[in-house]
Amino acid sequence: MKVMKNISGCISRTLLLLLALALFSPLSGQDTLRTFGPRFGIDLARFIYIFAEPSEIGAEVSADFEIYKNIFPVFELGYNSISESGELFTYEASGLYARAGIDYNILPQKDRSVHHSISVGFRYGMSPFSHSIENVTVSNSYWGDYQPGRYENSMTGHWAELVGSMKTEVLPNFFLGWTVRYKILLNADMDPLMIPELIPGYGTGGKNRNFGFSYSILYKIPLVKK
Amino acid sequence: MKLRILLISIAILMPGCLNVELCDESYDSELVARFKTEKEGETADSTVSSLTLYGIRDGLPDSLLYNAESVSSFVVPLDPNQSYSRFAIQIDTLSDTLTILHQHEIYLISYGCGFGSLFFLEGLSAANGGLFKRDSILEKMIDAEYESNEEHIWLYL
Repeated sequence: MKVMKNISGCISRTLLLLLALALFSPLSGQDTLRTFGPRFGIDLARFIYIFAEPSEIGAEVSADFEIYKNIFPVFELGYNSISESGELFTYEASGLYARAGIDYNILPQKDRSVHHSISVGFRYGMSPFSHSIENVTVSNSYWGDYQPGRYENSMTGHWAELVGSMKTEVLPNFFLGWTVRYKILLNADMDPLMIPELIPGYGTGGKNRNFGFSYSILYKIPLVKK
Repeated sequence: MKLRILLISIAILMPGCLNVELCDESYDSELVARFKTEKEGETADSTVSSLTLYGIRDGLPDSLLYNAESVSSFVVPLDPNQSYSRFAIQIDTLSDTLTILHQHEIYLISYGCGFGSLFFLEGLSAANGGLFKRDSILEKMIDAEYESNEEHIWLYL
């Protein structure tokens, strides 16, 4: 019996949520003016994932801007890679990914100077990436094992996301926030021979639906105050 | 306070924390052959009183696959390292060499179970021609996930 255990990063996600709870101390508005400007963020959850999934590394940055009242166009850029070596094969995948979409803040603004938000939104994501497999053994007890050569393929994954997020301004222009994502893969048959174990930014290609989680620290450049 | 309740609720509703992938099944790509007879254009199942079957393996000693009585079908593995699989077959007192031509590809079963063989049958022939009147391929593709009602070839006695 061959057993492969794959412990997901859920434990670290839960820890991050607890951390978010501890850090939530909403800043009360002292000014009646609202600031506008590009907000840049970095996903801290990616660094925690390394401890839960040492074979997978990644980084993600984001940018958004309140272009109109409560409407935030969002752009996210990241990198993901995985390297797994097992009894039956060695698998590697890596690539960049990008997501673009819009968040809509549903938190009522009683005080315009308060920038906390609870948002819903959507994303379109894409990732040009490559994956490879080598040291493959196809067991055949009667005729003898079959060991093909290295296989490599480059392709592009496309997916859509429904997004829910919460961001709190913990210091002037500094935000902490988390995002949960429901992801829908749009081209599952990108490689009929080998389903990608990792589509960067999406997750395992073996599932047409995936969940994701980000925990970010963000800074807004206060260009305009009005 | 409401925010905290919302956060705790979402934390509880997060997907399961442990994802365990098990592979406790055998994934062999095997050909299923059934014996048939044909009379006046009608095909019927047939049973042979005894069947002895070996795979003819290059560089390896022949190894017995079947030595059984009252057999109506047999299941054999195919050779992934060659474009053919050859079998020495004996039915009652008659013997022959059965050659099955095939293409071979591999496909991913799962990350826990690894890759499996995918065979595409291209033809089959009996060397002496005395054992089988004719043959037919019903299903050209053989994958590693065996189903109980699978039949790939018919051998007419």
